Amino acid sequence: MFPLARFRVEQRSMSPVLEPGDYVLVNTWAYKFHPPQVGDLVVFTDPERPGRFLCKRIADVRGDGSYTVRGDNEAISRDSRIFGPVPRGRIVGKVWRAARGKRRRGT
Amino acid sequence: MPLKATAGSPRHTFKYSAGFAATMALLHSLLKMLDRVSPAEVAYAHCDIPCGIYDPHYAQMAAHTVIRMVDLIGQLEKPGPNATGEQRQEFMNKLARYTATKEQHAEIYKNELRVLWGDYFKPEHVQQFPQLHDLVWKSMKAGSKGRQEINLLAAEEMLKDANEIATIFWKTKGVATYSAKAPYPTGRETVYPKIA
Repeated sequence: MFPLARFRVEQRSMSPVLEPGDYVLVNTWAYKFHPPQVGDLVVFTDPERPGRFLCKRIADVRGDGSYTVRGDNEAISRDSRIFGPVPRGRIVGKVWRAARGKRRRGT
Repeated sequence: MPLKATAGSPRHTFKYSAGFAATMALLHSLLKMLDRVSPAEVAYAHCDIPCGIYDPHYAQMAAHTVIRMVDLIGQLEKPGPNATGEQRQEFMNKLARYTATKEQHAEIYKNELRVLWGDYFKPEHVQQFPQLHDLVWKSMKAGSKGRQEINLLAAEEMLKDANEIATIFWKTKGVATYSAKAPYPTGRETVYPKIA
């Protein structure tokens, strides 16, 4: 399988690094040989809403193989403070590139 | 617009110079075209205010109030042909008060259930309880009827629908329920959560 997945970003908890309408290319093999690290931007499946994906930043690596995730805008982010740590199996991959159009959306 | 990250933080940064920004815009257009052929999944940088505070009890209580008002209106002694002005006035006053309360609480009932339906329940809940949409729709009709008429059956239907919605609500939360006679003058069977 080709190790790149495309996602379109919606909503603003990762602003200004990621804004609504940005595309991210996610390396799904990033964690094949080494584990996720604090500061990595990751896409993972939403623990509260099956079938949805979330994009957040890893804030802490826990001993049990799970990860605390946070939005950069903590005041408006639904993240590990709400749904707890994210197990490694839920992580789709690491954001490798982000692309933004010329016209900035969602300001 | 170049992306930036806080200096000195361990954050993952995308280093964007002006030339790089142009490349990014090109990549963006390319991905946008690709999106038309095969849409990308959406990754939410989710920003709901996670209030998460919902309870079907308000709707159940409002239904009890409507039942109680119908009871009180029924018990109200109607002024006979020889009633004095004061007696008529008192009757009118009470009837107006009961009716106004019935109106208000039927509306509270409808609003509370609409909020549960629109804000709390998620698509996966509907998959699990496919009767949900019909049930809420039925409750709206019962609420309107309870509001318009002096109709005990409609008022009881309101409570029955609210109880069914409450049962589903608590199931989605993994909370068991039981049914008991409410400790109000209405005394109807009501669904309560078993919260230890």
